[in-house]
Amino acid sequence: MTEEKDIQKTIQPKQELWQKMLRAARLLSIYTVIGVGILLLVKQLTNEPIQTAEKQVLLDTINQLLPSKQYDNNLLKDTIEVTAPKYLHTRDPVTVYRARNNGEPVALILTTHAPDGYSGDIKIMLAVYEDGRIAGVRVLKHKETPGLGDKIELKKSNWILGFDGLKLRDDNNALWSVRKDGGGFDQFTGATITPRAVIKAVKNALMFIQDKGAKLYE
Amino acid sequence: MATIPHTSPFTHNASSVRKVMLQVQIAAFPALMTHIYFFGFGITIQWTLAVLTLIIVETALLKLRNRPVAPYIFDLSGLITVTGIVFCIPPESPWWVIVSGVTFALIFGKHLYGGLGYNPFNPAMLGYAFLLISFPAELTQWTLPSEVSGHHISFIESFHLIFTGQSLNLSFDQLTGATPLDEVKTALAMGVPVTTTLNSTNFNGEQIPYGWAWINVAFFIGGLWMLYKRAIRWQYPVGFLGSLALIAYVFHWIDPDTYAPASFHLLTGGIMLAAFFIITDPVTSSTTPLGRFIYAAGIAVLVYVIRNWGAFPDGIAFGILIMNMFVPLIDQYTQPRVVGYRR
Amino acid sequence: MSNSSNNVLTDKWADYQKIARNGLWNNNQALVALLGLCPLLAVTNNTVNGIGLGLATMAVLIVSNGLVSLIRDHVSDEVRIPVFIAIIASAVTVIDLLMEAYLHTLHGILGIFIPLIVTNCAILGRAEAYASKNTVDKSLVDAFFMGLGFALVLIVLGSLREIIGNGTLFDQMDLMFGESAKALTIHLWDDYHPVLLAILPPGAFIGLGLLVALKNAIEQRKAAKAQNVLGVHVSVNPLRAPE
Repeated sequence: MTEEKDIQKTIQPKQELWQKMLRAARLLSIYTVIGVGILLLVKQLTNEPIQTAEKQVLLDTINQLLPSKQYDNNLLKDTIEVTAPKYLHTRDPVTVYRARNNGEPVALILTTHAPDGYSGDIKIMLAVYEDGRIAGVRVLKHKETPGLGDKIELKKSNWILGFDGLKLRDDNNALWSVRKDGGGFDQFTGATITPRAVIKAVKNALMFIQDKGAKLYE
Repeated sequence: MATIPHTSPFTHNASSVRKVMLQVQIAAFPALMTHIYFFGFGITIQWTLAVLTLIIVETALLKLRNRPVAPYIFDLSGLITVTGIVFCIPPESPWWVIVSGVTFALIFGKHLYGGLGYNPFNPAMLGYAFLLISFPAELTQWTLPSEVSGHHISFIESFHLIFTGQSLNLSFDQLTGATPLDEVKTALAMGVPVTTTLNSTNFNGEQIPYGWAWINVAFFIGGLWMLYKRAIRWQYPVGFLGSLALIAYVFHWIDPDTYAPASFHLLTGGIMLAAFFIITDPVTSSTTPLGRFIYAAGIAVLVYVIRNWGAFPDGIAFGILIMNMFVPLIDQYTQPRVVGYRR
Repeated sequence: MSNSSNNVLTDKWADYQKIARNGLWNNNQALVALLGLCPLLAVTNNTVNGIGLGLATMAVLIVSNGLVSLIRDHVSDEVRIPVFIAIIASAVTVIDLLMEAYLHTLHGILGIFIPLIVTNCAILGRAEAYASKNTVDKSLVDAFFMGLGFALVLIVLGSLREIIGNGTLFDQMDLMFGESAKALTIHLWDDYHPVLLAILPPGAFIGLGLLVALKNAIEQRKAAKAQNVLGVHVSVNPLRAPE
């Protein structure tokens, strides 16, 4: 008799604990499931707006380089993937967007990297007309010193517009460097490494396009 | 005045501070002369601007803090601070550079901590670091020594450059350029070995660059005089210059193309200024003999690291400020053992 | 009858006022509690970033406080915190997604700091310290004012740093309010030399320090005034705001 009572005594708190734990687990699961449910729903709902926003941002950047009047195709769909680590300084495939007007090639837009900036990679987007002239260049991402190297941003200085309309020819090779090295581009006070890196990267990208020629439009 | 407690430097009264500070000012005189000889009178204009700023800011802050103005202004410690900054900035930099630098140094480096004696960071270096970070473009454009630019800048020209930013005859780009440290660093980034840069025209084919080297020599002479007068402790310059020379020598010996020789490191930038005039500041450096040595050596290591692998051409300001933070720790572990006491 | 309901109403108003004062000033999450400093210091280099993160934090606070208060009687003590975290994390992710969809560029700039709102102690702090013990309406008011107080500090610090470090005010507002807001940008000086220190990390610390000091100075002045009126001496600890 007494023995039985003892056993009950030890069992009861154990059962209570189990019940408590179960209740807590159930509660937590319910909230987690509700939370996940809401997240899935919102994810579903925002999926499309996010994609349109991404496209819009990309298109806005491209249109800064190449006015939308100059082409009539959907260039976000008219792309080709290229891999050229030697010219574009990235092992990943680079998407080349192709602008056309009435089916005639107008310009190519692609991103490239300058690996030798003052601190880290500089990501650059450039648009090049079919005849090899530069439509425009923009720096998308960089970690250069604020106040020195960051003048490559259009927000800080017009320096980057110096590329507009330039063409890479055999006889103007010397132009593609900063003034200090005898070239045609201004260096920044206190920073020559950054502009040098950007010029070199743009020049390499142009060489890549010259190399491939009309193949890029196919 | 008597109610204000003093911490280190354990001064008896304002006049003893003044005596040391005066000696420091005198010791900086040869360097000032050399500076004028190579770079023109820009530095005298900067110095005047700095002193005017010092008087205005100091008076305003002492008034705000309800402290008597006269004894604090005449202890000359503020003068050392502004002199330190003036020697660090390019002599033809615009007027607002020195004005904002001195203001920042006094407010954030000294008075916010409670005035002289309570500041953990060297005010001069804090002001200089503020300028380096805030106005990097202005701070990298040094006036070229007249030997290099072939033009000696007159007082009027300096005045024009500082207050209007415009030069009278030559363009600003012709008169200014990168410092030797900057030059070497930029060239290295382009893949040009140090030896080639050091033998290029800007250095007149000498192993040590003109102008800057002679100013460092002048500081060295002034420093020796201060050591003789016992205005500063020997552990600072010996620890600092010795460590820097040793590290530079070892690295140069390993790879002379990447690492400049020790003589270059010792005689460029603000090394001698730092060794004798800045790191010797008793308030912000270690107070024990061994501590002073460790403190100085630590700065040397940091300067070398920043010069070779950092984002800035020179590392004096950051090296000193970082070691300032370690001073309480260094002091704690280097307390001289009391006789008869065993750990 | 009407009298007593009136009393209840005025009581409520007094409560709300007290909550508002707490959130905006006395117990300001950024200036007094010093919570959520990581995002606060990291993103406030201009006004628009301050507004963006401030509003996002405020929205999360309102959602989490409201929900926590709603379920406060149905959650056992043992799993209280995990449930709160689940609610906060869900709310943050929802707002992160919404911002990515509708404020895409700003979302790109604020980047990691939107998801990091989860780790903002101010939010779990309010859920645990207030919402889990108070009615829904009070919790919502608390969330609104705590969030507003936090957002205001972000905006003031962002504006200060932008003025000193960039020489402008309300630059890039188009990221938040559309193309037409581009006109809001004010260039304060014609030939300004930006003090870059202000928009770099040290500027955040110095700026916040100055704001905290300013708040304490105002408190001290108020205390000194009260002292004069009462004619008694109250020792004021400048580091603590009066409760």
